[in-house]
Amino acid sequence: MSSPPQTPGWLEQRFPIMSVLRREYVAFPMPRNLNALWSFGAFLIVTMAFMIASGLFLAINYTPDITQAFASVEAIDRHIPSGWFLRSLHMGGVTMLFGCLYIHIGRSLWYGSYKAPRELLWLTGLGLMLMIMVTAFAGYVLPWGQMSYWGATVVLNAVRAVPLIGRPVSELLLGGENLGNIALHRLFVLHFTMAFAILGTIALHVAALHVVKSNNPSGIDPTSPGQTLPFHPYYTSRDGFALCLFLMVYAGLVFFLPSLLTLADNYVQANPLITPRDIRPEWYFAPFYAILRAVPSRLGGLTFAAGSLAVLFALPWLDRSTVRVATQRPLVRFSLPFAFASFVLLGIAGMQPPTETWLVVSRVAMAWWFIHFLLVIPLTSEREIPS
Amino acid sequence: MPQSDTPPFPDSTKRRDLLATGTLALGCAGACALAVPFLNSLKNTAITSLSDNTLEVDLSTLAPGQGMTVQWQDWPVFIQRRTPQMLAALQAPAHIATLRDADSKILQQPKDATNWHRSVRPDYGVLVGICTHLGCVPTFEKPGSAPEAKGGYFCPCHGSHFDAAGRVVQRAPAPYNLPVPPVTFLSDTKIRIGHSAGDPGFSMSDIQQI
Amino acid sequence: MTPRIRTVLLAAALAGAPAYASASTTPAQRGLVVFQQVCSACHGMEHVTFGDLAGLGLPADSIRKWAADETLPDGVDDNGDPKTRHATPSDPILAPYPNEAVARLANHGLLPPDLSRLALTLPGGADEIRRILLSYAPAPEGMKLDDGRYYNTAMKWKHIGMPPPLQDGLLTYPDGPPATTTQMASDVSAFLSWVAHPHQGERRRMGFYVLAYLALMALLTFLLQRRVWKSRR
Repeated sequence: MSSPPQTPGWLEQRFPIMSVLRREYVAFPMPRNLNALWSFGAFLIVTMAFMIASGLFLAINYTPDITQAFASVEAIDRHIPSGWFLRSLHMGGVTMLFGCLYIHIGRSLWYGSYKAPRELLWLTGLGLMLMIMVTAFAGYVLPWGQMSYWGATVVLNAVRAVPLIGRPVSELLLGGENLGNIALHRLFVLHFTMAFAILGTIALHVAALHVVKSNNPSGIDPTSPGQTLPFHPYYTSRDGFALCLFLMVYAGLVFFLPSLLTLADNYVQANPLITPRDIRPEWYFAPFYAILRAVPSRLGGLTFAAGSLAVLFALPWLDRSTVRVATQRPLVRFSLPFAFASFVLLGIAGMQPPTETWLVVSRVAMAWWFIHFLLVIPLTSEREIPS
Repeated sequence: MPQSDTPPFPDSTKRRDLLATGTLALGCAGACALAVPFLNSLKNTAITSLSDNTLEVDLSTLAPGQGMTVQWQDWPVFIQRRTPQMLAALQAPAHIATLRDADSKILQQPKDATNWHRSVRPDYGVLVGICTHLGCVPTFEKPGSAPEAKGGYFCPCHGSHFDAAGRVVQRAPAPYNLPVPPVTFLSDTKIRIGHSAGDPGFSMSDIQQI
Repeated sequence: MTPRIRTVLLAAALAGAPAYASASTTPAQRGLVVFQQVCSACHGMEHVTFGDLAGLGLPADSIRKWAADETLPDGVDDNGDPKTRHATPSDPILAPYPNEAVARLANHGLLPPDLSRLALTLPGGADEIRRILLSYAPAPEGMKLDDGRYYNTAMKWKHIGMPPPLQDGLLTYPDGPPATTTQMASDVSAFLSWVAHPHQGERRRMGFYVLAYLALMALLTFLLQRRVWKSRR
């Protein structure tokens, strides 16, 4: 291991894959002090692999036609050998994916992983989140249940309300005036294609990570080899252990809590004449849905929902502070947990009936989200005294 | 790469021990087990279904010399009402000499159709219309309209010839006679394809090739 | 241990199980009898095939016989008149009506819902189905119900479009307890619960194996990572 190779081998001369793997995944220097939150990136990659594998096998048995889509999904659940397992794996994977994604982003916010020199890492990551959201939306339409149909109707009408680009984009997706066969087929192709686009973007994200290296809980990049550890075997073994725990949660969801995987109304075939009584989004879209409802104007709601994500994109430039970690910034340390709580509250509110109380809760939570990112962060960057 | 750039490796990585190999082996075993439901989903569900897959066909509209094609288990099945001239042609010694398997020795038919006319009753021929060469569907061709013309099946893909009883001629690329499905006569003009009264144990999966 | 013996042992192990509960019929299997003789007069299960009932332990011969007793529309004959054929085990279990219009005509303008996923989509699930079936009562004095509505205390507005389907002794179980209304309502809701979640048993069994395997892997990887991290220089 320590002795350098005398002459490069046949493969090495032509395609140095072994030495690249060794440099990037064995000897790659990692900070010594990473905590469990740094394992969520590995969880995301594994979940994505499960999603693509199960998705391919589901696509083999799925029919993108409004008269047969629902029945073909029922046949996957009932008649295809192990079909119920593949479908549960795919539906459970969405929850695991978004859960890990939000935690992964929350970790970056808390430890300042979006700051120089990691801006591109942060932006590719947010891009991935948007792509996953689009893919999740398109995939949710495919079973052609009541929630699929009405969720898609609401989202596509929201898209249409966007000034200038809204109408052309929604027509591009719908292929007609209404949500029908053409739209279903387009959304199927979109869902399928986006999965591989996400895979490519993950490669970019990981490549960007290997240039700037991992941030760590102290927020101070290691300067000497003594402050780092090789990726293998330290973080391979630790991620392996963390993955086992993560897969236990995933398996628990798939095997023991199937009723949490999707809303029961989606087991009723889409009916354009009846909107289900308690229509609500899946939990991972609930925060944005809550914002849409909380603003008493259609365009306003859309602006705020999009704005809640836009502030994240602008964050590396809103936050001029050189201190990365929130614990060393007295005001951010106080304000950021409330921003996290706002996000959770918006999620809860989005899944409740729109009563006056929940609307007020949504508005307060939404206000804090924007106050944190647009007022607290920029104003404290210069004046705060690091603790 | 200079030694100082790489972080320190632990000593234990050089040792291949039980814990590491065991964990790795068990992990690989788990990954293989995970592949099982995925491959399982590709299985043909029709094989496990309980359907008896029989088809009743009414032959009352079939005039002598006429043929019809029905679909049974996704296969085209040719039903031909043979004329006495056709039956005579099937027995002509000069014709028999040109055939690869004139006596139907190879298992391509139920026992009650292992005869010179390869059918339960001589005047009705029932054949699965899949060429034994590479699976194209042959067409029935009757050279000229003369009643004595014997007729036969001709495969458009590679020119295999079969006689009216589905027996392949020697100069054709097809290796076997056309398969005969199990047939039961319910009455003089009604048959059931899928079950053979004369050979109840016969199954299409037993034959040499389809 | 054959499944039959295991069922006997299981039945014996369950405290309070009625003594007359036959070992060879589970509630869901008895519920199938109720479905065949009562529910199927109006309802279908369009995503369930006759063959699927093999998963409930129905023997192949019974499935074939049941399927052969049912007729399905089969296009038109040479004169353009509608044709029917006998069902096969791979056919779906359809409602007896040829189309929606006929179904509505026969049911005061209402469409009897499909039962494939009812125990999943009805809020309250199988328990709610049982409650509805047992909540019929004579309408109280002074309450006037529209034609085709029946008094039922389980519903929000105390009436339902389905006529009371069950009564004591409506049918006899081939091998089981007396068919009281309560018994039949419990059995048929158990059956509909199975129909809505046909792989529940397999799902749980597989889940235990997967969790056991992952727990073992977690233990091994934990030991491995502890040893690796201890050797850090």
